[in-house]
Amino acid sequence: MEGLMAFWSETGVANFSGGQLLMMAVGCLLLFLAIVKGFEPLLLLPIGFGAILANIPNAGFTDEGGLLYFAYHVGIETGVFPLLIFMGVGALTDFGALIANPKTLLLGAAAQFGIFATLLGAIALNAVPGFAFTMQDAAAIAIIGGADGPTAIFLASKLAPELLGAIAVAAYSYMALVPLIQPPIMRLLTTKAERAIKMEQLREVSKKEKIIFPLMVLGMTILFLPAATPLVGMFCLGNLMRESGVVDRLSKTAQNELINIVTIFLGLAVGSKLSADQFLRIETLGILILGAVAFSIGTATGVLMAKLMCKLSGGKVNPLIGAAGVSAVPMAARVVNKVGLESNDQNFLLMHAMGPNVAGVLGSAVAAGVLLAVLG
Amino acid sequence: MTSISEQLSDALGIMIMGMGLVFIFLSLLIVGIGIVAKLFPAPVAMPTPAPTAPSTSAQATLDPKLVSAITSAIHQYRAK
Repeated sequence: MEGLMAFWSETGVANFSGGQLLMMAVGCLLLFLAIVKGFEPLLLLPIGFGAILANIPNAGFTDEGGLLYFAYHVGIETGVFPLLIFMGVGALTDFGALIANPKTLLLGAAAQFGIFATLLGAIALNAVPGFAFTMQDAAAIAIIGGADGPTAIFLASKLAPELLGAIAVAAYSYMALVPLIQPPIMRLLTTKAERAIKMEQLREVSKKEKIIFPLMVLGMTILFLPAATPLVGMFCLGNLMRESGVVDRLSKTAQNELINIVTIFLGLAVGSKLSADQFLRIETLGILILGAVAFSIGTATGVLMAKLMCKLSGGKVNPLIGAAGVSAVPMAARVVNKVGLESNDQNFLLMHAMGPNVAGVLGSAVAAGVLLAVLG
Repeated sequence: MTSISEQLSDALGIMIMGMGLVFIFLSLLIVGIGIVAKLFPAPVAMPTPAPTAPSTSAQATLDPKLVSAITSAIHQYRAK
């Protein structure tokens, strides 16, 4: 009988707390979004499952010595996982569209306004009782507006580790929601005639230009913004492996096997931060709201900048491509293409939107570097 | 309350500086891309039309029936 009692006291049923059950429900919601709705399944599935594992009573996944503890400790606390993902993203990125039309870098820069405006918003939220974000917290939340998962996780792990779970979930959820969030803003800020503008075909880009590009980006980061070199450096390494054409094996590994392996553990480790005591707080609600605001402002400023470029160039730039300035590669570019086709079914903007899209990745990495340099 | 307004002005400062730096950095990159494009223009403009022209003409002269005959001959030879 005593043995039975000891067994009972070890079961999940006897040890559940309300918060843990609620967080398991959140984990199941993420699984539902990933499997049924197809929202960023590559990340939301492991994150959702990690959230369930992290909230099992007596399992000890997140205690010192547990699997999730080590995954977090080794991969995220050190910043290694997001950087490895960034290398893979670099190997997956073709900068051809950007090099052919370098002015689109300005769109990627303008869309980063969402990040900095949200920094202000997060601090302003401190006026509401119950919120007490430090400047570091605010910066980590604001980077959600960069719409770049690895950058957000990297910065959050450096500046506000206790908010990491909520920030990562918000960042990836909003990236999945790009097709819902962006089009209304894009339609609101442009006229039908502007949306129908056709853009000139992009010029050919030589292999030499593509090889020099990552080296040039790295060189400039070294000179002006060393704080961003972890992100930009790994990104450029991946891109150089791709464009040099001499290390196909390494490039393929970075694009496929490595990024997949890291994604599994990154997702699990982020999920492990979704424990009841860290997630079920009023701050989480604030982060979710601020994330949506950051995203919307970034989209809006990108479109407005593109409108300006359209006016200055005499109507050669379709303002829609500005919306792709909030990285979220390649989803944002696809959304631009789709909205463009609605106004003119012969107008394919995908390649033109890829320029600002990859510029947005660089822009958010630079913004993260600035925040890290100032607040880190 | 004073601390919030102080924080807000700090955040405003970071915002202005941050946007400025992002714009400056990416503008420098535009200049850099422009320079690189000027330094290596020839391999872009010249060889692209050159190899495409002969290859299309070569394809045009090859009769598809001839091609299929050659491939089937190769297959038969390899099968032996």
